[in-house]
Amino acid sequence: MSEAVDTANDYELDLGWMDRTGPWNTQASQGKNGLTLADIQIGEYGDPPVESDNQTGRPRGAASRDSTYRIGAYAVRSKSEIWLDNASFLYEEALQRQWSSATDVPWHTIEPLPDDVEQAECQLATFLTEVEFVAGDVPARWVSLTTPDFLEPRQVLLAQVMDESRHMDVFRKRALANGGGLMQATGATSGFVGSIDLSRDFTEMSSRLHVSGEGAVLTLFRMGELMAQNEAEKVIYRLCAQDEARHVAFGVMHMRYMSEAAPERREEIHCYLDEAEGGLIGAANPVGQLTPTSESMAIILGGGKENFDDGMNKIIAIRQRQLREYKKRVVSAGFGDRFESGRSKVDEMIERAAA
Amino acid sequence: MSRFPSVDWFDEVRAVFNADDSYRGAGGGTCNCTAGMKIGDDIFVLTFEGIECSRAVVADEAALDDVDFYLDMPRGDWLEMVKNIAANGSADLHHTLNTLDLDREDGLATSHHGDQYREDLFFRYNQTLQFFFNASARIKSEYA
Repeated sequence: MSEAVDTANDYELDLGWMDRTGPWNTQASQGKNGLTLADIQIGEYGDPPVESDNQTGRPRGAASRDSTYRIGAYAVRSKSEIWLDNASFLYEEALQRQWSSATDVPWHTIEPLPDDVEQAECQLATFLTEVEFVAGDVPARWVSLTTPDFLEPRQVLLAQVMDESRHMDVFRKRALANGGGLMQATGATSGFVGSIDLSRDFTEMSSRLHVSGEGAVLTLFRMGELMAQNEAEKVIYRLCAQDEARHVAFGVMHMRYMSEAAPERREEIHCYLDEAEGGLIGAANPVGQLTPTSESMAIILGGGKENFDDGMNKIIAIRQRQLREYKKRVVSAGFGDRFESGRSKVDEMIERAAA
Repeated sequence: MSRFPSVDWFDEVRAVFNADDSYRGAGGGTCNCTAGMKIGDDIFVLTFEGIECSRAVVADEAALDDVDFYLDMPRGDWLEMVKNIAANGSADLHHTLNTLDLDREDGLATSHHGDQYREDLFFRYNQTLQFFFNASARIKSEYA
């Protein structure tokens, strides 16, 4: 005789959960690029609320539970605060264009460099590791503050955190790969770059981080590709620039959406841009004022300390380009009136850089 | 063997590019843009959709109004770039698209519309564009 307890009559299956569903009979179809996030934005599942009251972590479209306690202190619950029209597109792009700092960079092509050039490379790598630390931390914090109803921009920000993590490690690897090492911390994280984390509003953060900060770093990465001493550095900077351009696109498209959806906030956003533009000439911008970082870039661009002036001339030309590109991005985001009214000082900065 | 620049040449490069999975990793992958190529007086428009370059057509100056960005160099500079790629198997340090863009006073990538969001696609898809032109090292070319 079995000693197992007979529970067959004690419990009955409760299949009530089967009746509690989101919209049913949903059948998403994949497109040319596979089953993308855009392909599942269908019916109610694809319809984020203008204002979200979701404080429980309930996935958008899922059936709600009674008596669920609040788990998220979601500060971002208005769609206009974080939305952009192409978030699902940017997310898929981010996923599909990932790369590995371990295996996609031809590290074997790095060869010994003159001491001054290697030190300059290491100084730049130190600076970029610092900067990317901020660029990863800040969006991560805002993800946790955003209601799950706005999952598409959240997903893009999560992908950005992965990108920035890779940037942090790839520049650390570069510093340690060729007989040098990390140099003295530049303090960038306590200047304009660090102040990004003081933003009290997502759009304030995005205008500082994505449009101004990452726009400047995008130029820096492109310049890094230009001044690369070997194929490994070419690849590092080119791939980082791609990632950065995607982050910039997030910021431009969010500002564009915000401008149209909440025009009453335009003046506030102009104030953020006023502050951000101050950062474009600050010490945290390595192609701005003369800092150890801009000196190191001039040495790399010139090919050594003895050609510092040649390198600095190239930096100045690229700085003008950086400012022009920033201006055009702000115009594209819908805030070109600040240049027409003379509120922005960017045109003066461009002229000063040329003088 | 195809003559550069021509639609036949771009089609041959497309065939190599579209058939090689290695161009879809390592920072390559989905790419959606229309890119003009202004090679001296000759103009071509390439369409990138998903993981493929789906089309190459000959075009005129007006067509450049509609592309996201176009690459503009004198014919001699284009020839130098594609010959460099053919000789090295890929662009050397001085002939990558980004380096040519920053090294030239007028740049390489530009647009008629001036929308930086669309011009930024040149940066966002730079590795794919570089892979595409690097693929030209794998076809036999003659030069006009």
